[in-house]
Amino acid sequence: MSTAAHASAGAAESTPFPSAKLGIWWFLASEIMVFGGLIVSYLLFRMAGPGWSAELHHNSTLLGTVNTLILLTSSFTMVEVHRAHGRGEEAKFRLHLALTILLGLVFLAIKGAEYTAHIREGLVPAKSMFWAFYFGMTGLHGLHVLGGIVANACLYAVAARPGGVARYGHRAEMNGLYWHFVDVVWIFLFPLLYLG
Amino acid sequence: MKESGAHGSPYLLIWIYLVVLALASVAASIVLPKVPAELAIYFLALVKAALVAMYFMHLKVERFFIHSLSLIPLALVLVLFLGVLQDVVFNR
Repeated sequence: MSTAAHASAGAAESTPFPSAKLGIWWFLASEIMVFGGLIVSYLLFRMAGPGWSAELHHNSTLLGTVNTLILLTSSFTMVEVHRAHGRGEEAKFRLHLALTILLGLVFLAIKGAEYTAHIREGLVPAKSMFWAFYFGMTGLHGLHVLGGIVANACLYAVAARPGGVARYGHRAEMNGLYWHFVDVVWIFLFPLLYLG
Repeated sequence: MKESGAHGSPYLLIWIYLVVLALASVAASIVLPKVPAELAIYFLALVKAALVAMYFMHLKVERFFIHSLSLIPLALVLVLFLGVLQDVVFNR
C-alpha cells in the first residue's frame, strides 16, 4: 500500500462518524434553514396583519389530521426498517420499507386531492399571501416526501436482491434520518396551516 | 432506547405518544379559546418534534457534534425570527 493510501485509510479510521451519516446531517442542517426561513416568514406575515383565520377555514382539519397520522405512522415503520436491519430480519426490513413507501404515496394522494379542491374553488397562490405560503410550504414539503419515496424505492430495489439487505441495509439509517426530518417539518406545518 | 423484548418494538410506545399528542392538539384547537389553543398546539408540536428527533432520529444517543449540526441552524432561525419580529411589532 502506498503512503497516500495508508494516510487515507488512517484518516477514515480516525473519523468518529461514518461519512454518509455526517453528510446527511449536514444536508439536514441546510434543510432546517430552508424550512425554518419559510415558517418564520409565514409567522411574521401573519403577525403583521389581521391574521388568516378565514383562509384557515378552507383547509380540512380532518384531512390534515389523517395526513399527520399517516406521516407519524410512516416514521414508525421507517425506524422499524432500521431496527430490522440491526436484527438481521430481512423479511421485516422489506415489509416495513414497503409500508413506508405506501404511506408516503397515500400522503401525497390526499395532498393532491386537497390541492384539486382548492384550485377548483379558485384558491391559488396568486389569490393571497396565505395561499402563496400554503402552496409554497406544502408543495416544497410534498417534493421532499416524493424524494423520500424515491430514495426508499431505490433501497427496496437493491434490498430485494439476494443478500441485498445485508449489503445495502445500512442505508436505511440515512433514508430514515431524511424521512423523519420530513415528518418533523409536517409536525409544524399541520398546526400552522390547519389548526392555528 | 432499551429493547423491550424479542417481539415488542421499543418505538411502538413513542408512536402511540405521537398519535395521542396529535389528536390532543386537534382537540385543543376545537375546545379551547383562540390564544390558549394556539399556545397548546404549538407546545404539543414542539413535544412531538422532540420525540421524533430524540428517539426515531436517535439524537438521544448521538454525540455533541451531531447535536450541534441540528441546534446551530435552529438558533440561526430563531435569530432571524427575533431580528425581524421587532420590525413587525414596532411598525404595526
